[in-house]
Amino acid sequence: MNNNWLKKNTFHHSEFKDIDRLVEEKKRKKIKISLCLPTLNEEKTIAKEIIIMKSELMSRFQLLDEIVVIDSGSTDRTMEIASSYGADVYQADDILPKLKKFKGKGENLWKALYITTGDIIVYLDADIKNIHHRFVYALVGPLLLFDNIKYCKGFYDRPIVTGKKKMRPTGGGRVTELVIRPLFSLFFPELTQILQPLSGEYAGYRELFERIPFPIGYGIETSIILDTYEKWGLDVIAQVDLERRVHRNQDTKSLGKMSFVILKIFCKRLEKLGIAELKTDFFNEMIQYKLGKNGYKPDIYKDKGSERPPIIEIPEYREKFNI
Amino acid sequence: MEKHLDKLPSFVEAIKSIKETIIANIVFIGQIPAPTFKEKRRTDFFMERLSEFQVDECTTDGYGNPIGIIRGTSTSKPPVFVVAHVDTVFEKDIDHNYTVKKRTIKGAGILDNSLSVGVLASLPEIFRKLDLRFESDIVLAGVIQSLGEGNLRGIRHLLKTWDTPIRGAICLEGIELGRLNYYSEGMIRCEVECDIPTTLKQIQKFRPNAILILNEVINQILELRLPQRPRSEVIIGKISGGFKHGTIAYNAKLGFEIQSDLDKMVKSIYNDISDIIDDIRHQYEVELKLKTISNLNAASLKYNHPLVKSTGAIIESLGLKPVSGPSESELSIFLAHKIPAVTLGITRGENIHLENSIMEIEPMYKGIAQIIGAIMAIDKGVCDE
Repeated sequence: MNNNWLKKNTFHHSEFKDIDRLVEEKKRKKIKISLCLPTLNEEKTIAKEIIIMKSELMSRFQLLDEIVVIDSGSTDRTMEIASSYGADVYQADDILPKLKKFKGKGENLWKALYITTGDIIVYLDADIKNIHHRFVYALVGPLLLFDNIKYCKGFYDRPIVTGKKKMRPTGGGRVTELVIRPLFSLFFPELTQILQPLSGEYAGYRELFERIPFPIGYGIETSIILDTYEKWGLDVIAQVDLERRVHRNQDTKSLGKMSFVILKIFCKRLEKLGIAELKTDFFNEMIQYKLGKNGYKPDIYKDKGSERPPIIEIPEYREKFNI
Repeated sequence: MEKHLDKLPSFVEAIKSIKETIIANIVFIGQIPAPTFKEKRRTDFFMERLSEFQVDECTTDGYGNPIGIIRGTSTSKPPVFVVAHVDTVFEKDIDHNYTVKKRTIKGAGILDNSLSVGVLASLPEIFRKLDLRFESDIVLAGVIQSLGEGNLRGIRHLLKTWDTPIRGAICLEGIELGRLNYYSEGMIRCEVECDIPTTLKQIQKFRPNAILILNEVINQILELRLPQRPRSEVIIGKISGGFKHGTIAYNAKLGFEIQSDLDKMVKSIYNDISDIIDDIRHQYEVELKLKTISNLNAASLKYNHPLVKSTGAIIESLGLKPVSGPSESELSIFLAHKIPAVTLGITRGENIHLENSIMEIEPMYKGIAQIIGAIMAIDKGVCDE
């Protein structure tokens, strides 16, 4: 396998810390940059993300033009808090209301394409405890400074916060190492050079995002990589070392559900690309078991594998962006 | 004086309009662990921040205290100091990631004293926002090694080596908004350590117990007759010792402070306690050591000093009630150098020395406005009389 891409398209966030240069480049290219934070019950972390990005990348440097929060129906005070710190806050269901409603992170990201106005869109998970503005400027840097780069992903060390509030370092994510990397190795060895394909921090040009489908749930990160690779090749992708990201730990059962959705997306893409042929339809239920008073009971998670089409195919979008 | 008092309420809204910058500074600084003697990463960041905010001069003194100087319009007026200690009581393995909500910020060390350091770093931007220029240079000093065994070494060194006059000083503490400290008591901070030698030839059952020895020390300290005038007090603040429930403790430590309005009385009480320790050591044949961790001399501005009066008026103009009391912080070192100084609190909060320390955001804007008011007052000459 040729691993030139890893050497050529892998950066460190410190290479982009000259934010003035990025702002200059942004002005020269006459483009706008939007930050989108998809949320579901993130009241503990959302304010800090908004405050730091507003302070550092809107007030001190004019790198960002807007911060948009798209919420999936939080039952805590996420929306109220985000709004109080000046972000533009939307309920996903209220965007493009004539379309069928779905719940999921991918749905929020897809609808953000309709709401935001930027030429570059930065997506950040809203649960980052050690948020720093490098999470944005380092993702935007390669897009602004290298004309061939259209999509940029973050990777990092992943300490997690354990019960006693002590940090414990981890390797790549469990789903990455147990599901994604084996699949990439089997079918797309070149893509194994992407060190953390499931990271929730990435940025790209609108012209790329609007032309690919968005699964509504967990599969969004995998599908963006596969579809971008298929349409434009690996050279339009870059990855940036963001160094350290502290986040909530997820239990194994939740990761099982995530893996179920990702495997489904992956198999669908294999079929679409003619790499494999499935002789039967998928089942839509992930079945796990939990021990109750009367023995083991199935705990069923349903995922129909719904996907939004490329948003450029939606008439309302075409109208809004004069396409 | 009245003129700038009138402006203060309008400052509150203007300060609030750059809340993202202020909160970002508090969070960035507070999330860098800075236990006493290990403040370097935090001081480096503080310096970097001052330099990013285009402070005229950024430097560290020979001891490592980070300092930013905003040049004033006059070359003859001495500088005004604004200081906050950068160290906290928390070790670096504690989770220092802060949680910001609509009305509060929560995290280790926020009230003592990360909030103050964050506000100190924000002052250049706040001055710009309020379009303020001063005659005096404004010296923004983070001082290291303040707490516990640090014994205010940072500020002691800074003032010892600062070779030109200082016009006046404001010391910042996270809480409590409305506090107006203008005097400090005499103080000696001590530790008593009891060690039972493991070679002691007594039967295990009858070996002295280090915890009980310290209990005896405490009892005898409590029996001391302390005068009400000058006001004097012994505060038993810390105790630790022992290993497991069923084993006699052969090591224990006790931490206490002697405080009094009069230095002589502090010394006299210290001598009494020293005698108690000698007596118990002799009686029980154990190792019992009294160690002085730090000390301060009593120092004070008069209640009718113009700085105290004008700072009180500033606090009242913001709808708050000034509350005076002693402070054993950087204030005492300024006063010992005959530099007029006050300590101000920035906001309200809870759990000051716990990991889940929490500060209120809204009162902070008034807290910052009073700091600006006090700087303006010193700059207009209240300390020059």
